[in-house]
Amino acid sequence: MTARDSLYRRLLAWLLLPLLGLAVLILWQAYLGARDTADRAFDRLLEAASLAIAEQVKWQDDRLWLDMPPAALEMLATDAEERVFYALYAAEDEFVTGNAHLPALEGDSAPLRFADVGWQNQTLRLGIRNARLEDWNQREYFEVRVAHTREGRERLASSLFHGSLVRIALLALLATSVLVLAIRFALAPLTRLRRAIRARDPRTLAPLKLSLPRELAELREALNELLSRMRRVRANQERFIGDASHQLRTPLAGLSARAELALRQDDPSVWRDSLCAMQSTSNSAARLAVQLLSLTRLNNPEATPELRPLDLNQIARRATRNALPACQRAGIDLGVEVPENAVIVSGIDWQLEEALSNLIDNARRYGSQHDERHQEAPRITVRVQTAPPILAVEDNGPGIPPHLHLRVLRPFYRGQHSDRLSSEGSGLGLAIVEGIARSHGARLSLEEAGSGHGLNAVIRFPETPS
Amino acid sequence: MNVGWRMALSWLCLVLLSQPSMAQTLHYPAEPERANAPHLLIHGALDPPLIAPVLEDFHRRQPHIDLTYRNLTTLEIHRTFLADEGERSADVVMSSAMPWQYQLANHGYARALDGQAARNWPQWARWRRELFGITFEPVVIVYRRELAERFGKMTDHGDLLRLLENERDALQGRVVTYDPALSGAGYTYAVEEARLSPRYWELVAALGGVQADLVGTTGEMLKGLASGRYLIGYNLLGSYAQDFVQTHPELEIVVPDDYALIMQRLVFLSRSANNREQGQRFLDYLLSEAGQRVIGEQTPLGAVHPAFEGPGSAAALRERLGEALRPIRLGPGLLATLDHLKREALLDRWEREFQRATPGPNPHAYMREHP
Repeated sequence: MTARDSLYRRLLAWLLLPLLGLAVLILWQAYLGARDTADRAFDRLLEAASLAIAEQVKWQDDRLWLDMPPAALEMLATDAEERVFYALYAAEDEFVTGNAHLPALEGDSAPLRFADVGWQNQTLRLGIRNARLEDWNQREYFEVRVAHTREGRERLASSLFHGSLVRIALLALLATSVLVLAIRFALAPLTRLRRAIRARDPRTLAPLKLSLPRELAELREALNELLSRMRRVRANQERFIGDASHQLRTPLAGLSARAELALRQDDPSVWRDSLCAMQSTSNSAARLAVQLLSLTRLNNPEATPELRPLDLNQIARRATRNALPACQRAGIDLGVEVPENAVIVSGIDWQLEEALSNLIDNARRYGSQHDERHQEAPRITVRVQTAPPILAVEDNGPGIPPHLHLRVLRPFYRGQHSDRLSSEGSGLGLAIVEGIARSHGARLSLEEAGSGHGLNAVIRFPETPS
Repeated sequence: MNVGWRMALSWLCLVLLSQPSMAQTLHYPAEPERANAPHLLIHGALDPPLIAPVLEDFHRRQPHIDLTYRNLTTLEIHRTFLADEGERSADVVMSSAMPWQYQLANHGYARALDGQAARNWPQWARWRRELFGITFEPVVIVYRRELAERFGKMTDHGDLLRLLENERDALQGRVVTYDPALSGAGYTYAVEEARLSPRYWELVAALGGVQADLVGTTGEMLKGLASGRYLIGYNLLGSYAQDFVQTHPELEIVVPDDYALIMQRLVFLSRSANNREQGQRFLDYLLSEAGQRVIGEQTPLGAVHPAFEGPGSAAALRERLGEALRPIRLGPGLLATLDHLKREALLDRWEREFQRATPGPNPHAYMREHP
């Protein structure tokens, strides 16, 4: 399990990253909040100082007069020893007195306004109080402007912020550990599943029985399905092996009996007959072995031979030519029908030839048995069609009833008719053809022949993309 | 420069121009002499005999610095600093005009000091790490011994007030004090005392009752006292008086034990100092135990450094007078002192109180012509 692919880490990362983003957001909020709180707290100083000054403003000698209270200025300087500025302005922004010319603030005529202003390369917090003289006959408006530097505010804000920083850090720590525990807990069934799989006997294909949360239960079901498929495959294999040994045992037992019988005689002509019979038996046993071998090869999922474009017409002609002598001997009329143009599919020529010769062989063997009801001469037609590409072998024999079409494709299945139980048939021919068709992406189907009786075995290739 | 400054300056001119200009210069060339020796220019309002021991000691410790000290009046210091003379502008500014020094620092003309000494300097004697009170000078009463022989000893403001009220006739014209309209120092003391005690105005009225002479400097007061023209001098700068009294045994110096204002020389390193490093060194020296020892032992200025406890130190004075000492608070309250309306208001009040007892010719008639 590498670090990159760990589900645990992936979950942790996807949960912690948003959490981190959230923490940053909260911190930013806390910072703004701290600043705001500090400003509000310190603005009270501006408010009080401006009030203390405003109370000292009076009308004297035909002008605004201020007896500046030192305490009002002392008020503006906290432990942070801020720089302090004040000014008294009459109406029309006319400077009356003060230690600095402080800017006016735009905006409404609220009695009290605060703002940060830049002033001679420093940032000041400015508070402006609008007031007017409440004299009997003087209603002069004036503005008291007080300002101080931000050191005290920043100090308070940073101490508030540090307080929340610690709290948020603790929370984040808590959240992270809870998260880690939660993920561990949530992933525990996965570990159980892994242990259960690991602890299994490699030969058992019994389904997993383990109570798991829904998502993992689905995985368990998928696993169990795979296991049951494997069980079926294995059963098929075992049956195949059993059938194959049985099939091979029969000719071998025959050979052995024949030899034993011959050895009891002294007559060389009997020996010769026996040897001839043994040769024929061993031939058919050898053919059976060859077929078994090719079937095994076709069923081997690891073998993926390279497909090449080839012409079905040529294949059909070649297979027909090869089968011609045997058919002539059996008095069967073998013909080939091909379209004018080449029919190109991608495939392996020897396999397709093999498939075709198997089909012709089958037709010769079973299709040529004469049905008394029909007085036709036995006939086999090899047919190639285009769009979709098709290889077909049709006979005019008795055919196979439709309900058996699927079953005859199984290895070692032979037709029910006793007369079809020829000693030469291995029962593998159609299975091999089907395997070859599958490996070409084609499908083998058995149909009733167009003439009404007889079997038409068709290999349908997929449409070539060209 | 804004109107407030100009107003403050204009009346400061008026107040201080009447004092004789004492533009003396002390120069300590670098040793060994070099063409490119680092310079240091100090502007101070402190008479050369008082400051010389400090400068000499500093020069002995840092002989490679070419040290120049210009003695100016507090007004000249303020004015030349704001005029910013480039090459000739001061690196270190030292003045007893506390509100003006504070005003400059408040406006950001001072540079913060980094050193350990600056950080450890007592909180009450510094503002931020920019402005430092390096001396501890009580404001005192000086009287002639014959006065004590006639009317008994005097130890506090109450004694003085009683004496002035009871012996009004005997003391007519024989008392001297600062004219707050003429002297920045006198005005500063008046503001502070008015804040400290409501009875201050009774004292002003009593001073008016004896038709006290109003002068501009401590020097004038001491001269008049020595010559026998005055019997009592009120609100003299202790550091000058101490020195003077030592050579004039007929005078007695009293640090009032009910309350005594403490004035401090405020010093700062100019933000635009041409010789920042040397300035920093000089300030570090002034704030160091060594520098303070020189101030405490070789001058009457009074050392502030908490580690220094001998005679001439703030600690010793505190020991003697305890709670009575009222150092002028180094804070934004000083800015109110500079407010020109406040000044007018205070001087008006002062004048009224001064004339309450003796309706007569207005001693400040000329003031009205130059507001």
